[in-house]
Amino acid sequence: MSLVNNIKKSIWAENAVFRLLLGLCPALAVTTSAENGLGMGLATTFVLVCSNIVVSSLRKVIPPKVRIPSFIVVIASFVTIVQLCMEAYFYDLHKALGIFIPLIVVNCLILGRAEAFASKNKLLPAVVDGVGMGIGFTLALFVLGAVRELFGSGTLLGYSVFGEGFQPLLLMILPPGAFIAMGLLLAGMNLFDARKK
Amino acid sequence: MNSIPRLVLVLTLITAGAGLVLSLVESVTREPIAEQRRQEMLRALQAVLPPADNSPDEDTVELVVGQDKRGRDVMRKFFRGRKDGQLSGLAFKVVAPDGYSGNIDVMVGIDPSGTVVGIEILSHNETPGLGDKIAFPEYKKTFAGKNLDNADWRVKKDGGEFDQITGATISPRAVVGAVRKGLEFYRDNKAEVIADSQGGTQ
Repeated sequence: MSLVNNIKKSIWAENAVFRLLLGLCPALAVTTSAENGLGMGLATTFVLVCSNIVVSSLRKVIPPKVRIPSFIVVIASFVTIVQLCMEAYFYDLHKALGIFIPLIVVNCLILGRAEAFASKNKLLPAVVDGVGMGIGFTLALFVLGAVRELFGSGTLLGYSVFGEGFQPLLLMILPPGAFIAMGLLLAGMNLFDARKK
Repeated sequence: MNSIPRLVLVLTLITAGAGLVLSLVESVTREPIAEQRRQEMLRALQAVLPPADNSPDEDTVELVVGQDKRGRDVMRKFFRGRKDGQLSGLAFKVVAPDGYSGNIDVMVGIDPSGTVVGIEILSHNETPGLGDKIAFPEYKKTFAGKNLDNADWRVKKDGGEFDQITGATISPRAVVGAVRKGLEFYRDNKAEVIADSQGGTQ
């Protein structure tokens, strides 16, 4: 039961992007469309779960003094695996996400979870934590991407929503739009939580 | 416990393991990645070349177009499309270094006389919604049928006849300039490019 609660918690109350404000660089940079957000979120989730598994299983072997370099090697390896596989089998997504895939290595969300959670917990909770955080991150990127795509290009997942007459709000696709959409979504979440209390 | 040899050993084992896994993944994905890149190249070639029945990416000529800052030769590859053994068209890549943000890579397809059949934007970083319209089909179409004799290779704002894009003059200007230079290079080196042997420089 507590495992399910953990997942729920990391999706809303401790959402990586909207609550912990971790991993904002990719969250702001690649979310020009819902599809990009989803792809980036899933790639990050994969790396997060895999690195949590390895870090948690090696937590008794890795001496504290070299834990950060060890974590980074593990994370960087999984990122490279994702990058190679994506280029081989999802070439279009690879082109869209471009340089942001290698940058998953420096996504502080992943190192943060390895350091704060996986290196101190057993395998199962570490996997659950990775899955939960990953889902939360993916959802956040998807929503951010969907909002920006909807207003910035008038489409959702590539399908036209508003019809021909819609004049896209270009700002939303450009970098400032990321900050504006992010701020509005954060405000919305805070408002929702405040109402509930 | 935390003696130096132990730290070294653990870190070495972890990096060795990572290296092993990565080399395995690399060997599995090497072929598909090469194939994907080739397919992309072929798609671009098909888009800009007149109908051909050979593999243009295997029938190529490379010529020196100039020197880079360090004095090394910069090569340009010409892809040759053939129909029934006859040369039907050529394609080559030009780089517009003066885009609004970074280089714009353009694949240009011409018929043997030097008239543009089509262009394809391979990669660019122009502003979404403004400069990136250079990659739209309506824009790319404006190049078809143009050659050095029948067109003034400047954007309208500079007195030429190529459309600029509202709010973005720099990107089209860069593309038009790069294509023009490419055509001029072809005109000046035509004999070598269409020669049947793999002549020129290797």
